Amino acid sequence: MTEPSIFFHEVNERQGLFHRRAFLLGGVAGLGLTALGARLAHLQLLETRRYEQLAVSNQFNFKLVPPPRGLILDRNGVILASNRPNFRLLVAHDGDLSPKATLKTLAQFVPLDADRQARLARDISRSPRRTPVSVMEDMSWEQFSAINIRAPELPGVTADMGEVRVYPHGGTFAHVIGYVAKVNKEDLRPAGPNADPILLHPGFRIGRQGVEEAFDLDLRGKPGAQKVQVDANGREVHHDPDGDIPAIPGKEIQLTLDVDVQNRALEVFGEESGGAVMIDCRTGDILCMLSAPSFDANRFVRGLQGAEYRALANYERKPLLDKCLSGTYPPGSTFKTMTAMAALTAGVDPEGRVFCGGGLGFGGRYFRCHKPGGHGSQNMRDALKNSCDVYFYTVAARIGPDRIAKVAEQFGFGQTFDIGIPGQKKGIVPSTEWVRKHRPKDPKWHPGESLSYGIGQGMLTVNALQLAVMTARLANGKKALNPRLIRSVGGRELPSGAEAPDLPFDPEHIAYVRAGMAAVTEAGGTGYRASQLGLGDVLMAGKTGTAQVFSYKAGMARGKGGAWRLRDHGLFVAFAPIDEPRYALSVIVQHGMGGSTAAAPRAREIMRVALLKDPEIRARIEKPLPMPEMVPDEGLNEVPEAPTVIEPPLAATRAAGVPPRGAGGPA
Amino acid sequence: MTVSALTRPGERDRLVVKFSEIDWVFCLALCLIAGAGGVMLFSIAGSSWEPWAINHLSRFGLCFFLMIGLAMIDLRVWFALAYPVYGAGLLLLVAVEAVGDVRLGAQRWLDLGFMSFQPSEVMKVGIVMALARFYHGLSAESARMSWWLLVPAIMIAAPVLLVAHQPDLGTALLITMTGVAIVVMAGLSWRIIGIGVLALAAAIPPFVLFVLHDYQRARVMTFLDPESDPSGSGYHILQSKIALGSGGLLGKGYGLGSQSQLNFLPEKQTDFIFATLAEEFGFVGCVSVLILYAAVIFMSLRTAYLSHSHFGRLAAAGLTATFTLYVLINGAMVMGLAPVVGVPMPLLSYGGTVMLTVMIGFGLVQSVRVHRYSEVTSGKGALL
Repeated sequence: MTEPSIFFHEVNERQGLFHRRAFLLGGVAGLGLTALGARLAHLQLLETRRYEQLAVSNQFNFKLVPPPRGLILDRNGVILASNRPNFRLLVAHDGDLSPKATLKTLAQFVPLDADRQARLARDISRSPRRTPVSVMEDMSWEQFSAINIRAPELPGVTADMGEVRVYPHGGTFAHVIGYVAKVNKEDLRPAGPNADPILLHPGFRIGRQGVEEAFDLDLRGKPGAQKVQVDANGREVHHDPDGDIPAIPGKEIQLTLDVDVQNRALEVFGEESGGAVMIDCRTGDILCMLSAPSFDANRFVRGLQGAEYRALANYERKPLLDKCLSGTYPPGSTFKTMTAMAALTAGVDPEGRVFCGGGLGFGGRYFRCHKPGGHGSQNMRDALKNSCDVYFYTVAARIGPDRIAKVAEQFGFGQTFDIGIPGQKKGIVPSTEWVRKHRPKDPKWHPGESLSYGIGQGMLTVNALQLAVMTARLANGKKALNPRLIRSVGGRELPSGAEAPDLPFDPEHIAYVRAGMAAVTEAGGTGYRASQLGLGDVLMAGKTGTAQVFSYKAGMARGKGGAWRLRDHGLFVAFAPIDEPRYALSVIVQHGMGGSTAAAPRAREIMRVALLKDPEIRARIEKPLPMPEMVPDEGLNEVPEAPTVIEPPLAATRAAGVPPRGAGGPA
Repeated sequence: MTVSALTRPGERDRLVVKFSEIDWVFCLALCLIAGAGGVMLFSIAGSSWEPWAINHLSRFGLCFFLMIGLAMIDLRVWFALAYPVYGAGLLLLVAVEAVGDVRLGAQRWLDLGFMSFQPSEVMKVGIVMALARFYHGLSAESARMSWWLLVPAIMIAAPVLLVAHQPDLGTALLITMTGVAIVVMAGLSWRIIGIGVLALAAAIPPFVLFVLHDYQRARVMTFLDPESDPSGSGYHILQSKIALGSGGLLGKGYGLGSQSQLNFLPEKQTDFIFATLAEEFGFVGCVSVLILYAAVIFMSLRTAYLSHSHFGRLAAAGLTATFTLYVLINGAMVMGLAPVVGVPMPLLSYGGTVMLTVMIGFGLVQSVRVHRYSEVTSGKGALL
């Protein structure tokens, strides 16, 4: 306050300046607040609807509910594949949560070793945010409840109840039905049914192999949804049952297989490797299609451990291979039925005889018969009965390969059938044309090859289903039956295998071959001992086959021993009953060494189950013995109501209430 | 009491006179805002006093009494304390740089054992007091354009650089803008203002590209294009806008805001409490609160007009500017008009430090009002 005049001047100037400038501040504040108000009006009054929708989509989620997978039934409605409840443990990663720590905590309640924890932690951090990863399936109730109680303290962890596929018959149907497994990245497609978001659901399983794969879309059903309110961490806050969309279960698939026949087939194979196919010769329904050894499909549903899978994959007897459809084998002597059919069709007289001296020299080579001393003079029936190689060498050489090939194709070889499941191999039915096309180095048919062809060796390969179809067509005698595996899908029945054209053969010729097959199981036939069903007059006809898998050098044991993989295949085709055929069957015992020793006894057991399950056959077997002829006893007509017992006289005076006596009584 | 009582030197020093001179309407507005904050905090805690509402209201109660108490302090005391407070704030900022706690990636907190606080908050009041003190002794001519103006420039730059280094861009910005507001209100030449604005406009792009931390740059970029990253840094803005927009005219109802109740809204109890309010009480609720803020701002600014001392004027106006900046920045951020910076809505948001700062500031404003006729000697020149 040195210079009051300046001071006041200063004060006034500063004050005026400040007042003007402070007005500016007020203006800025007012303008700013007005701008905020305007912005609010814009957001809250004009764009309300848009933000309301966003808020709703924030807080409500539709949680997908996987539908129950369709059941798979046998022909009588026995369940072959169903679903059972499963307590699952799921972990989702969610921003700041460390999956490793969570898994460590969880390891206190469920067994999770360090390896598994590390693998799961990787899976969880790789999966999209809030998409749960299954950490454990099939928890016990104790584990489930222990985790469920602690779930609020464990962010991202849920323990819920889902469904898991179960195959009550374990390995019996593994090759036909296949199994279900977790969805792979390769399964996901940008469009089509595999683009469905349900595939990302941790409880969803996709069909692999067999019926599960082929009918996956039918079995899947339609996922439902649960309307849930979630918070920002995706945690379920509230479930609105009114907003739920129920899941539609998958379609039920009924197979033509019979659980008892199939189970028996697996039993009789024991440790042997091979396949058995049984077809109803009137309808074409496949009653049995078993490949042995098998594997437990339930283990694949859980996810197979590496070692377990390697053990299955590396086992010499190849449990994972379907030997009915994917394995092709030389049919051996079972093919002589076809050679015989071809010969009959070509006009060869079945009564014409061929002398078998134990072998046949042809084109500078000597073709042996399986019987070293020879069968002597043989007609076609004898030759089938004894499986005489020389007879069929002779016949085959006479009619040539193309006739045989034509007949074989008409009986179902060299083709696949539409049975609904993948994996069939065609096999090879050689002919002059086939050689020209597929053997460019040596396109000419050598006459010597016809001889091998005639006894089902050489280039010819077939699968067990084709053998069964052949037998069924022979047994049916009229129709070119088609095999049927899927009886109905979702209640809609598929066309029967009997809706097929007639076989273009003379019924007498077929009857002749059938008679030859009947002779095989008669006394003296190659299959006699092993083919007796023991069911009275219900008999089985068949044809044995022993197929060489290796060219033996002189002096070597002929496939009857030694290394397993070098042994002969044993085959047997059969139908029963002979008089009115119902079931046709083919059995291949891989490296089983002999048709009559390895395949026929097994065929007999399988056939017996099928026959005993058939009510008509049972009625026939259980037919009461005819009553002995008796002269009617006239006196019996006058027999009184009560037994004629001569009572002592004293008994007559007993108390009242005694039933009325016979005529002889004193009353 | 009449206003004229304040003009009589003997009369105006009596406590009763001072007490009656406090702007009680202004106090009522503050209480209403803090009360609204308590109501919202009660709602988002799931209708529970714990953990926020009870703390908020009791803190406000304490701060309110503190404000009344501070209002009784003679303006000359404030005047005398101006440089010491500023100096202490600066020292604390240096201290926090050396030994401060790192929380949420930034070194802002100083742990005093019984409580931890942010020295930058002291500076928010300190800068206002120091600048007001400086300009109090400066002539209008010097304030317009002179070498003296380097002093306020340094006064502003020193704390701003320290705070920005923590890094707390929001506070640094707030201190800068408050300081600039005071310098402008004190009478800075329009020519310098014009040059400053041009320089600022030219400096922003290189600043954003080279000086900012990654997360800060991300926020700015997100603000410019919020849809680019809806789950990342755009998430805050998007969720806040959803909360606001879905509130509509009347809101979803008390306790029924899905965005805040289900945690979609981040920082719902602090920086984004206004969005919670908007969601549950709608446009009507928001505008009511904005009107309360406007009332507080204009009553506070009017106090600056009433003051006879230049220190009082500039202090009250500077604190008003700080408060206004809080409201505008937070409002703009919540409404998606500004990038996300950690500036709360004063008195509405949960948080003790900011409330304490604001209420101390208002204590000074009320002191200016109560002592509006006091002579504050300039001492010896501007700096002493």
